[in-house]
Amino acid sequence: MEEDKVSLAGYFKDFGRAVKNGNIWTRLSLIIMGLGHLANGQYIKGCIVTAVEVLFAWVIALIGGTYWPKLSTLGTVQRKESFDPVTMTKKVNNFDNSLLILLFSIVGIVICFFFALYYIYNLKQIYKVQQAKEAGGHVNTFREDCREMVNGKFYVTLLGLPTMGVVLINVIPIVFMTCIGFTNYDIDHQPPTYLFTWVGLKNFQTLFTSSVSDSFGYVFIRILIWTIIWAVVATFSTFFGGIFLAKFINDKRTKLPAMWRTFFVITIAIPQFVTLLLVGKMFGNNGIVNGICSQIGLTDFLENIGLVSKGLGYIPFLSKPGWAHVMIILINIWVGVPYQMLSATGLLMNIPTDQLEAAKIDGASERQIFWKITMPYIMFVMGPSLVTSIIANINNFNVIYLLTTDYTTTNMRFATSHGKEVDLLITWLFNLTNNYSNFKMASVIGIITFVICVALTLLSFSRLVRGDREEEFQ
Amino acid sequence: MKKRIVSLLLAASMVATLGACGNSSNASKSSSSSSAKASSNASKADPVQNLIKNTKGSVDLTLWVSETSQYQKVMKEIVNNFKNKYKNVKLNITIGSESEANTKDDLLKDPEAGADVFAFADDQINDLVKKGVLQEVSTTYTYDPKSVDTDTAVTASTLNNKLYAYPMTASNGYFLYYNKDVVPDADAGSLDKILADCEKANKTFGMELSNAWYLYSFFKGAGLKATLKDDGTTECDWNSKTSNPTGAKVAEAITKAAKSKAFKNLGNDDQMSAVKDGKMAACVNGTWSSDAVQKAWGDKMGAAKLPTYTVDGKQVQMGSFSGCKLIGVNAYSKQTGWAMLLAEYITNPENQMKIFKATGEAPATKEGQASSDVKSSKALNAIIAQSKFSAPQRVGANFWNSANSLGQSLAEGKYSDAQKLLDDAVKGITAAVK
Repeated sequence: MEEDKVSLAGYFKDFGRAVKNGNIWTRLSLIIMGLGHLANGQYIKGCIVTAVEVLFAWVIALIGGTYWPKLSTLGTVQRKESFDPVTMTKKVNNFDNSLLILLFSIVGIVICFFFALYYIYNLKQIYKVQQAKEAGGHVNTFREDCREMVNGKFYVTLLGLPTMGVVLINVIPIVFMTCIGFTNYDIDHQPPTYLFTWVGLKNFQTLFTSSVSDSFGYVFIRILIWTIIWAVVATFSTFFGGIFLAKFINDKRTKLPAMWRTFFVITIAIPQFVTLLLVGKMFGNNGIVNGICSQIGLTDFLENIGLVSKGLGYIPFLSKPGWAHVMIILINIWVGVPYQMLSATGLLMNIPTDQLEAAKIDGASERQIFWKITMPYIMFVMGPSLVTSIIANINNFNVIYLLTTDYTTTNMRFATSHGKEVDLLITWLFNLTNNYSNFKMASVIGIITFVICVALTLLSFSRLVRGDREEEFQ
Repeated sequence: MKKRIVSLLLAASMVATLGACGNSSNASKSSSSSSAKASSNASKADPVQNLIKNTKGSVDLTLWVSETSQYQKVMKEIVNNFKNKYKNVKLNITIGSESEANTKDDLLKDPEAGADVFAFADDQINDLVKKGVLQEVSTTYTYDPKSVDTDTAVTASTLNNKLYAYPMTASNGYFLYYNKDVVPDADAGSLDKILADCEKANKTFGMELSNAWYLYSFFKGAGLKATLKDDGTTECDWNSKTSNPTGAKVAEAITKAAKSKAFKNLGNDDQMSAVKDGKMAACVNGTWSSDAVQKAWGDKMGAAKLPTYTVDGKQVQMGSFSGCKLIGVNAYSKQTGWAMLLAEYITNPENQMKIFKATGEAPATKEGQASSDVKSSKALNAIIAQSKFSAPQRVGANFWNSANSLGQSLAEGKYSDAQKLLDDAVKGITAAVK
């Protein structure tokens, strides 16, 4: 952190020095960015830089003129139309679109930010060239500049494109969706016909409060707890399941290991959602499993011992809380273990054999070898991926959504908030946006999920992937 | 010197572009106001002729109808006839496929990119109007739906006393199917008798109680309400203690029926597979299942209005949601006039009959429903008979989840206090959107 501060201060100090010590052309570049380059004889570069500035000014004039003034209210003029029955034509007023106002304002701000960075960089660059020129050094021609981009500064060229992609595809949408959480964008406030506006922290309040008709708080806590339980149990069950499976297949006494491995890989070959839909139907209230259970008398037996409520007539594998929770985790083991098995197989084959041999000569039992050598090795290599798979499971939409399509909650408080006992935050969020157009609450839930994931990642990475661990293992 | 010229040029060009962008916005404003003037000055003769005269260039329209091949085929024919009718205008009409049930969702994602004319189920009218996506039918030019179509269909297309769409078909509701081998015609009028017959024959009766759409029929039959209020929330008195019968009595009656060994709370797919297996002898379902049921039961298939059920010792006729498919015009269409003409053309009486013949869905016209072709269909007869006891589906967004949940609880029968269950459900149903 200390270093960062120094460099950040230095960053602006360099800029100040450039302004203070620069000659007239360098200083004039504060207004017209290409002037310094032109003065230093870099004509093409000067033109391009000025063109960039013009383009920027034009874009900002457009955005700043139309959208920024409305950002504080997100628009005030609602759409009005009138149809003239005689001419069969329609007149529409010049209405505001809150969504576009918000979107373009954010795009404008992001553009400004990057332009500011470029602006400072440009001036420093000019100052550097000016200094070089004054000292009688070499001034790069445009061609040399270009060549430098594919040689000495190739990393800049390489990183440029992905960075732009991240900004366009990730940063802007994330900022945009986060902003939605502070507005009242929902079913009653949908552009283009209606406006939405800022409401501050009201949506966060809604998420953490709970009354009978307003049960977001009640549902949120329960769904959050289930999400975390699910993520941890699902991750570790498939993780250890995969390792054990791989271990059994790799065992010397196992015959035809390649066949068994292929056998399990086939389950990966079938698209996950097909498997899930199929299994979901099989375990449905009127599915084939329930048919078999009632014929062999299992349903009656479970009713008698009280695991299934009397008179239900079927085992609610995927339609009652408790039952559904357990079933989902079991089905997920079935779907997820082969993946873990594959990666664990690769690892097991790569364990340095000298260690294993040495342990054997020292008289260690199989079990000791597994727990003292194999497992630590696997944990060391797979630890970080374990964290990512917990995050992935927090957002594991497919399994939950596809298995619980027929689930109807009987808890009225869940129903009021359009949630289900088996929902993860992500499926709840999906239901809120897709079926109830409740974008503001979905955004708030998204923000919270994001915070949880970030906290988890930081926490576990700082503990699991510390540099000193490697030596400890060796 | 040379450098200075270059820089001056650049500065000048910068100023010029800034100025240009200011100018362009002024220009667009003035053009829009001049076009407004022109339209108000237009002559007030026949609007359609006016429209034809004022249309320059080609007219691009998109039409969304159901993806089924029957619909696609008949719509292609109708659209071609429409083009022939207005030969002098270059009409480019694209027919897209969009299930009526999903129209609202897809249209609301981006109304400006949606179809100009679209078919939709009438339960979406509230949302579509509320979002300002439906063009009001303030005037009609070639026929008047209000006089041609049945009252049920017109009500289904109306919101706040304004007509918002053109009725196309009127058979989207539900009614009773029964197998005459198990349930004789004489018993089909009473739920108690149907259940008794099914129990005796070791068969089942299917109705999806955990779906609020079907659950509604019991409460509606008993005179209890679930309707839309102006603010978009649902008005619901299913927990009423003063009505006769009271809400709690209705709830108990539902649970009593559901406790029958024959009663199965099953969705459409499961019902149809049970019908096919021969396990199910009666079910509450819609015209969309008519072919499947006909195939399984053949001549023994009966279809009738919903039966009566017993509340507090009295027989009460079950109500239902009526269902119509409507044609709407997108308020964001750039060709409102032509879109309205096309919508009118698709739904005029002759074309409604054409659609009926192609798809088997009952027309919404009075004349059409009385025609012998419609009368010969058992399912359509049943739905027309049920329409007396039905109401258009006008409920807020919060109705469904809470009422589904109520239905599930009633079907399972695991509650101690019916009144409390109903109170909780009604609180959820009537809750404001948060």
